[in-house]
Amino acid sequence: MKPNQTDVVGEYLHEVDRRLSGLPLLQRRELLADLAAHIETERTERNVRSEGELLEILERLGSPDVVAAAAYEEAGPPPAVNQQPYAAAAPPFGAAAPPPYAATPPFSAPARGNAKRLGWIIAAVAAVAVLLLLCFGLALARGDSSEPAPSVTRPPVPERHS
Amino acid sequence: MASGLRRGTLEFCVLAMVELEDRYGTEIVRRLAEEQSLAATEGTIYPLLSRLRRGGMLDSKWAESPSGPPRRYYSLTPAGRSALAHFRTEWVSFRQTVDRLVGTGEIA
Repeated sequence: MKPNQTDVVGEYLHEVDRRLSGLPLLQRRELLADLAAHIETERTERNVRSEGELLEILERLGSPDVVAAAAYEEAGPPPAVNQQPYAAAAPPFGAAAPPPYAATPPFSAPARGNAKRLGWIIAAVAAVAVLLLLCFGLALARGDSSEPAPSVTRPPVPERHS
Repeated sequence: MASGLRRGTLEFCVLAMVELEDRYGTEIVRRLAEEQSLAATEGTIYPLLSRLRRGGMLDSKWAESPSGPPRRYYSLTPAGRSALAHFRTEWVSFRQTVDRLVGTGEIA
């Protein structure tokens, strides 16, 4: 096996792996092992010598995008919705970085990320509102003290006629 | 054809392939990818095999091969066997209904 041929295979597997970051670790490793075994088997059984033939094997496997898209499709629906025990066990792995491309089905990790971000935004807005209220109140209080007593002076209570 | 229908039936083609004898991954993948009308690229079948294994339809074990790298052999579990049997009856009546409604049956 020439070193440049290994490079082609290694690069292909790396490109697939790069797209699987949103998958549970075990599924990710399983797929890479399956693909690596497939390439090795094809190479041996078809007695592949040239790089052109090797590229044909990779072409038949499909582009990293296509393979990764299938992996996400078969990974199952987001764990939050799914009631299956396996999917329920997935979140610790699934919480990894969101898949880097758009062709993926909606995933729990990015969704949780969005919810988190939304939470932060709401908290920030609330903090600013509280601060503004405080400033406003302070200004009012100062205004009260500097000005002569406003209209709180009540009209004299009408005397009761006896 | 709708890709959902294709993918939904492809898994039963996989189960049927290992019904009578265990087969290794590359063997299954090659055979199915040969079928033009299934439109399945080889690399997309491995995630399907993984799901069927996780779902308890298939079992797998690695074994040495007489020549070349170790092979991962798949076998049908009892659950896979009954799912396949169920699909066979459903598929026949499904096909007949669609043929009747779409007008693709032999006696159209």
